[in-house]
Amino acid sequence: MSIDDRVARLLTELPQSAQFPTQGATLFVDLARQRVQQAYTPKRIVESLLAGRGTNMFYLYRLLDASLEPTNSEVPLIFESGVLTGIVPSAARGNATSWSPESGVLMDCNAGDYFPSFLKMNGIDHLVICGRATAWTWLWIGDGRVEFRDATPYLGLDNIDLRDRMAADVGGTWTRDLATASITRAGENLVMSSAIMAGPKACYARGAPGAKRGSLRVKAIVVQGQTHDFDTARPYKPYNKTIAKKLLDTSVVKHALRTMGTPFLYRPSRVLGAMGTKNNQETTWTDRLDAEHITPYRPGVAGCFRCPVNCRPLNHLNDDLADRYGRGDGQEYVTLGKFGPNVGIDQLEPVIRPNNICNDLGLDTASSGSTIAWAMELYQRGIITKKETGGLELVWGDAELVERLLFDLSRREGFGNVLADGTRAVEQGHYPAEALRYRMAVNGLMQSDPHDARILKAFALGLAVATRGMDHLRNLVTLEINARINDDPDFKAKLYGGPVTAEPNRYDTKERAVRVCENLYAVGDAVGMCRFTTKLFNSPSLPGLDEFSGQIANVTGMEINTAALDRIGLNIMGVERLINHRLGVRRSDDTLPERWFEEEVQVGAYKGEKIDCQEFDAMLSRFYAISGLSDEGVPADAWRQELETVLGAPAD
Amino acid sequence: MAVTVRLPVTLRQGGADTLTVTEPVGTIAELVDLLGRRLPGFRAQWDDSMLNFAVNDELILHRAGERRLTDDDVVEIVPAISGGAGRAPAYGVPESWSGSAT
Repeated sequence: MSIDDRVARLLTELPQSAQFPTQGATLFVDLARQRVQQAYTPKRIVESLLAGRGTNMFYLYRLLDASLEPTNSEVPLIFESGVLTGIVPSAARGNATSWSPESGVLMDCNAGDYFPSFLKMNGIDHLVICGRATAWTWLWIGDGRVEFRDATPYLGLDNIDLRDRMAADVGGTWTRDLATASITRAGENLVMSSAIMAGPKACYARGAPGAKRGSLRVKAIVVQGQTHDFDTARPYKPYNKTIAKKLLDTSVVKHALRTMGTPFLYRPSRVLGAMGTKNNQETTWTDRLDAEHITPYRPGVAGCFRCPVNCRPLNHLNDDLADRYGRGDGQEYVTLGKFGPNVGIDQLEPVIRPNNICNDLGLDTASSGSTIAWAMELYQRGIITKKETGGLELVWGDAELVERLLFDLSRREGFGNVLADGTRAVEQGHYPAEALRYRMAVNGLMQSDPHDARILKAFALGLAVATRGMDHLRNLVTLEINARINDDPDFKAKLYGGPVTAEPNRYDTKERAVRVCENLYAVGDAVGMCRFTTKLFNSPSLPGLDEFSGQIANVTGMEINTAALDRIGLNIMGVERLINHRLGVRRSDDTLPERWFEEEVQVGAYKGEKIDCQEFDAMLSRFYAISGLSDEGVPADAWRQELETVLGAPAD
Repeated sequence: MAVTVRLPVTLRQGGADTLTVTEPVGTIAELVDLLGRRLPGFRAQWDDSMLNFAVNDELILHRAGERRLTDDDVVEIVPAISGGAGRAPAYGVPESWSGSAT
């Protein structure tokens, strides 16, 4: 069945009018025929999966043909805005979903800035894009309409130039009446760490979304229009004030996120001995990269649409206007870790510059940094030599080399062509099979965060079971790194709905915390809330299910209590696992890099820690059991039937 | 007895990034009690569950209050990766943290 037939069949089931106040349309964009069809997500789907990431999974489940390849134009790329995106403070997020060209499993990445909110402002909840454009195209969206425009003049432009050119050509101002989701040369070149840029820094990053977009030949999607208030079921602004106050009163927001941004996380990680260093051969690094040393380089902070937190530090390295990368937006803790300890760089400026370069080249810093670190270790071990690198010496800490590699990989030039294949370098024949032993990836995706999870068993489980591959943003039990909470068993039990052991290096009961976080974060994505300001990720007191439930009722008129929301979070994970199962994911894939089972942490209070195979396997079994999953990691029979009934039959 | 306390940016006064404690403090819990009296802003951040402790470069993630301190120890106050239970904690101070400096 072709994608046209799949869309046509689906459209017969979808309502033609909004099912609740503020619900936006789902637009099916056929690039080949330059045609747009419109419908709305049915109420039964909303009740089971809510919106945003959740309903993206409904569309992917129905439209995916797993017999194809991820870059096939018949595999859709789906953007969304959450049910509260653009409406609630700090809810400025949306996901982009498809089948990942890099990992081969679910691609589901999340971005903020202004694009998701502006989609919502235009009355759009989902953009389902499929078919390959006959020539490079960009989409203009305004007044709820989509226009197909020639992207030829913009080909070859990276993020800085593209944003300048498009704003001038379209006539508008970013963050005021223009928002974009664009790809750079890296996306055009199908680079596996290419992102879709949603702002100067914000991007849909994980799983090669840029490459997926490049395969469809869509250079940019630009949304234009004035911001406005929403017609809601009940007044929602008074409760917004309550939520904003909750955000701003939280100490981690006041004392860390608003002042230093996420780089404040570097210090505790390195002191704990859990900082991935030199491709996780080591686990601690210099104090020269502590956030306090970044302060002189930070002229200010920026933020996403209507977010009072403003957690994005800007950087200023020099006044040389000819230096394209002498200033920029960022960096985050992830980038600090990936371009500092992970590649052996111990000075701040050479760590900040790659952040600015990646922002321009449109690269996911997590995957790009990890891919380079992997190559460096292979070179260190003699598994690859100058013969494979084209004469380059891949030595740790060579900042000039790292910069060069980023440009080369974005253009697929020289050894950059190897790096551009990301985690698939062995499959593509660039590296011998032995290289997989040192690849810090799960389910084909490099680890997103800089943490070395050999000590923190809840982190380890989360990375193993995350439905998009090795990524902390799906379920990280961050509060495990908080002695005050660990030492208060009653409070901890209240947070996770039951006892969770205090010791971060124990295996028992950690599955409970991962389950609770995974449900909550999935709902957060369906809502459109930023992870940094969602309960349990950075703090126990940030907005969570209670606040989501209250504001969903005000905005949509739907009464969905916290228990039902928690179930929705579980359902979202369940559908994602059904999709992954169709893509070949099995229990044996929910694991961790070999190194963590075999090599011990060498420093700190937890020296000697590693992952015990049997303990890990038992923890995984308990996680499956409390999640309602079968031994193979998919929803068990009754729940599976329930989900399949709600979703309808998939295409294949 | 002298314990050196390294302070995070959020607790520094007048540019000083360390504090020397010469009073007898036998445990982290006792040190917490003392810092609550001596260090402006400490109590609020402590009540917000925002602070961890590292003793001689080892971060302590559980039973921290019971950690014994000896002469010449270096205690670093490390802002927690998480933290922020609100101004009025929803939970009481755990028993393991109780203690007072004498």
